[in-house]
Amino acid sequence: MILFSPLSPLEDLLRNVLEWFHGTVGLPWAWAIVAVTVCVRLLMVPLAVKQIHSMQAMQAHMPEMKSIQQRFKHDKQKRNEELMRFYRDNNVNPAAPCLPLLVQFPVFIALYLVLRQFSRHPPGGDLSWFGSLVPDITAHANAHWSGYLLLAIYVGSQLASTYFMSTTMDKTQRTMMMVLPIAFVPVLVNFPVGLVIYWVTTNLWTVGQGLVTRRLVPKKAPPAPKRSSRTPPKEVAAESKDGADAKPADEKPVAPAQPRRVKRKKKARR
Amino acid sequence: MSVVFRLPAYLGVGLVYLYRYTLGVLFPGGCKYHPSCSQYAIDALREYGLVRGVILAGWRLLRCNPWSLGGVDYPRQQRLFK
Repeated sequence: MILFSPLSPLEDLLRNVLEWFHGTVGLPWAWAIVAVTVCVRLLMVPLAVKQIHSMQAMQAHMPEMKSIQQRFKHDKQKRNEELMRFYRDNNVNPAAPCLPLLVQFPVFIALYLVLRQFSRHPPGGDLSWFGSLVPDITAHANAHWSGYLLLAIYVGSQLASTYFMSTTMDKTQRTMMMVLPIAFVPVLVNFPVGLVIYWVTTNLWTVGQGLVTRRLVPKKAPPAPKRSSRTPPKEVAAESKDGADAKPADEKPVAPAQPRRVKRKKKARR
Repeated sequence: MSVVFRLPAYLGVGLVYLYRYTLGVLFPGGCKYHPSCSQYAIDALREYGLVRGVILAGWRLLRCNPWSLGGVDYPRQQRLFK
């Protein structure tokens, strides 16, 4: 209790926000939690946009980065140092900064405190989710079979979000991050269902954001035209007798097919 | 330094490891710097003790923001405590 007391203003704030979503907007408590989670993630969207831009810019530097990775293949530390130096010099750091992550913790802890308060003094109103599927969001996850279902969804969403978030990590660390959420389940069954809802929502948001990022990033691949000239040379050679003017006109109609070409290249590289 | 004096720093290192294997897993992310913020905190605590280590780690966390460029940054490169 004493440990959390500095967080009580935050608990009150979160409770007020939840009550606003419940009372004024008219959402059931479970959906109010989803709404709060979405709001937190919406606030962080500009950050994701920044990262996407950085990743797009990075595409232009792929060959140099590949050569760094090749050069320091066996020296992990040196490789990371050189990559970070390279990111800094070119202003294309694709990694997420740590500070915004910390912003999420207080929200999370406050939600835990509010839910604990709710389980002691039920606030009134609908505490279930999807009708009778999840009867009480303040109860522990192991109180009803739906809690286990939610935890299963949580583990899946956690693995997927780790997959998207930890692109800059090395393999052993990534594997650990993938295995640990499963090991956490015995602990998480003692958490209120509402917290699991928060996790599932935020993870699914991360996955959605990751999918959008994937979609956006390969589009701007400057080295693509250079390499893809492997296939078209016949036509180009045949048509470009009259000079350089014919080339750009020829390239344009091919443009929509670019994303597909990027994919093919990846396969070829493997 | 004797082990007794270093004990608080080791406690801090333990807390960072605890974070890494709990909250760090639940909220996955990367870091703009090398070494990562948590590794920096561990190194700083080991090299400079609890108080200065915590200050250095806190300062590093503040620098790991969306507007920073990131890069290579070891605790021994710090200029706060000389």
